[in-house]
Amino acid sequence: MSTLIRAAFSAFRVSMRLRVVSPYAYLNWLVFPLLFTTVGLYVLSRPGAPVSHLAYGVLGGGLIGYWTVAYLDGGNGIQDERWNGTLEQIFAVPTPLVVILFGKVTGSLLFGILSFIPTVALAYFGFHALLPHVDALRFAISLGVLSFSFFAIALTLTPLFALWRWAFQMLNGFELGVYVLCGFMFPVAIIAPWAQGIADTLAPTWAIRAIYAATTTEGAHDYFTWWLAAIALSLGYLVGAYFLYRLVEKHARMSGDLALA
Amino acid sequence: MESAAIEARALRKTYVTTRGVLRRTRVERIALRGVDLAIRRGELFGLLGPNGAGKTTMVKIFTTLLLPSSGSAAILGLDAVKDPWAIRKRIGFVFGGERGLYWRLSGLDNLRYFADLYRIPPQISRRRIAELLDRLGLAGRERDKVEHYSRGMKQRLHLARGLLNDPEVLFLDEPTIGLDPVGARELRLIVRELADTGTTIFLTTHYMFEADAICDRIAVIKNGSIVAEGTPSSIKGVVENQGVVEFEVVGMPADRLVGLRGLPGVSSVVVSEHDLAQVVTVQCARPADVMTQLGMVLGGLTLSKVSSREPTLEDAYVQLIGESL
Amino acid sequence: MNRVAAEAAVFARSTYLQYVALFQWATVRGYVAYKILLPVTQILFFVELGVYAAGRQNALYFALGNALQLTANAGIFGVIATVANERQFGTLPILLGSPANRLVTFLSRAIVNVIDGIATVVVGLLVTVVLFGLDLHHGNLPLLGLCVIVMSLTTAGLGLMFGSIGLVTRDAIIIANIVYYVLLIVCGINFPVSRLPGAVQLISYSLPLTRGVQAAREAAEGASLQQVAGLLGGEVLVGLVWAFGGYLLFRVLESYARRGGLQEAY
Repeated sequence: MSTLIRAAFSAFRVSMRLRVVSPYAYLNWLVFPLLFTTVGLYVLSRPGAPVSHLAYGVLGGGLIGYWTVAYLDGGNGIQDERWNGTLEQIFAVPTPLVVILFGKVTGSLLFGILSFIPTVALAYFGFHALLPHVDALRFAISLGVLSFSFFAIALTLTPLFALWRWAFQMLNGFELGVYVLCGFMFPVAIIAPWAQGIADTLAPTWAIRAIYAATTTEGAHDYFTWWLAAIALSLGYLVGAYFLYRLVEKHARMSGDLALA
Repeated sequence: MESAAIEARALRKTYVTTRGVLRRTRVERIALRGVDLAIRRGELFGLLGPNGAGKTTMVKIFTTLLLPSSGSAAILGLDAVKDPWAIRKRIGFVFGGERGLYWRLSGLDNLRYFADLYRIPPQISRRRIAELLDRLGLAGRERDKVEHYSRGMKQRLHLARGLLNDPEVLFLDEPTIGLDPVGARELRLIVRELADTGTTIFLTTHYMFEADAICDRIAVIKNGSIVAEGTPSSIKGVVENQGVVEFEVVGMPADRLVGLRGLPGVSSVVVSEHDLAQVVTVQCARPADVMTQLGMVLGGLTLSKVSSREPTLEDAYVQLIGESL
Repeated sequence: MNRVAAEAAVFARSTYLQYVALFQWATVRGYVAYKILLPVTQILFFVELGVYAAGRQNALYFALGNALQLTANAGIFGVIATVANERQFGTLPILLGSPANRLVTFLSRAIVNVIDGIATVVVGLLVTVVLFGLDLHHGNLPLLGLCVIVMSLTTAGLGLMFGSIGLVTRDAIIIANIVYYVLLIVCGINFPVSRLPGAVQLISYSLPLTRGVQAAREAAEGASLQQVAGLLGGEVLVGLVWAFGGYLLFRVLESYARRGGLQEAY
């Protein structure tokens, strides 16, 4: 057991070190979130817009950065390992792939959450935008729930990307659609009803609803329902992930498709 | 009785791919057609064959990376299909080429990472890594990033990684590919030493002299089937009682080639391009007879560097594979 | 005459081949992902953002702005990705070592992206019409078309500038991403340029797209060519300056890369 924990920690450490030297990582956690925050705050602070909307500008860019690093790094990570020729090797070690990915995804989450630092700073110094009514405790719990949902999604998507390279391409193309469905920068309530139905199957949507509720005294505050929905959906993804890993293991050994052929 | 280090029975592998977008057709490619092999513990076994013959497929099945379509493969008595986890702990593998390392990390970090993934306790791995760096001539450079390593150093780092868990069986898939002659020889020496200390080694290569120089036993694979198996000298026996006549010629017409093949005692004629000239290698029972008849068959052509020699493993290989090199 | 025909044939062939060889979107799935899904979701995201801030009645402003910004998608990514991908596949040294005319090489690179950019914008405008009820009945369609063509050319000009940088760095695609999103902020796509600080407005008007988008917005409302001629002329001028600068930089960095052997850095 202790060697498994050590393996996961080692994967975490290596993924962090590779990230620190990769310019793409900075694009995802620093540059994109800042650019989105800028557009978001300009649009949301247009003359006549309600002040309560500003929270979406303050936090939206950070949430986008957090999400992007969490899922994109996972996907790119697998692709990089494939190009490197190391995917085959981490597959052939006596440590299950899921343990290695556990470490890598944890690294992504820790790196991704850093996105909030530059974006909140930009909101404060550039736009004098603040969150005066934050319910710190519930905000923190909601962020924790969101992290768990990102973790579950990243862990589920990574084997998916390992199996089907085009899945990564598709999700990459749908990137901004995810921002819409999860309500990163505006409430899901404003989008078309059928799209809200889809959004409700995504765990982060519920966690983000709770996060924004914790920044304001207005509106509904059904924290427990939202947290529960996010956690239940995440657990559901993890069950799916379990079968996906079984499939990866089997499929990869059938086709020998781990090398860059 | 102790089980064999590596054992394959009627091992088959067929790759299935689909082609086309609208009308998808299944394409099957047979990589292994029923291979039987048994390798004893402590043996240094060489698998020879041209590109695409099935060497890498076999290594991947043995290293649990690939499932066979039928037949069985066992490593140290463990089933490669059902027992991959137990096998992975006890084997090591190195694939040739520069890929398979984290270039942006140091050599030491690469080794530490894989030591953890091999679940080696830290007190053991620390000692082991120091030993391997020393033994493979990487000590002093271990903190440099891998991207600054020479090709030979990368390959030795690969080998160090493959040896981290002190494997009982080591698989080397074309380990000297792309190395300069000095680097390749160093690596061969290290491999031979490893075998002498009791590690079972399964080596694939398409360099004849490499197999000839270090392997205890050799198999030749062609189109997914083993066509010969034995010690290097017994394989050379395939071309026993035969000699080789070699010469260079410019502009060899096809009909002359037919004439050459028709000479008594000639078993194969292979032509390979060499700059502007062709090098013709004739395997035959009585080289002296063939040499006297050359003028008759090839009258009018200017021959140079005509020589006759003893057969090498390469000649045996060419005979077995039956294709021009 | 024959020489011209031969040059033209080379041009056409290299244009086509480099497109297929170098772009990940030159596959069915890739095209769907990067040329349909990505543009459509960009429009959706910013329109919904705008609706949240400014109400449903202003959706068109955001839809049209983002649809027009798609010209930059092909112009910037297309041109920069060409060099970046050549580097990744290790074919850049071969290209630079070939006796082909650099201007021809470079133009063939730009033109295919111009065509592609127009196709993307058509997709974007269709989405805007279908989903957000963009009403072009009173619009000056030929003029709108002209604006789109002009912006495709001018953004490709900007792309040349940054594509050249790809000769000496392996991270040009990162620059492409940044440039693309900076345009989204400073060119009056989602909010008027006038809301930006004065210094930033200076940048806005020295970049392509700013004037073009303004002209296209007016064309969509039925303006005539005379009314937007100034804007469009300015857009063309800005594009030419960037394209010329890009070409010069290409020549300078090419010789720099040759001396330093930098193009093989990856």
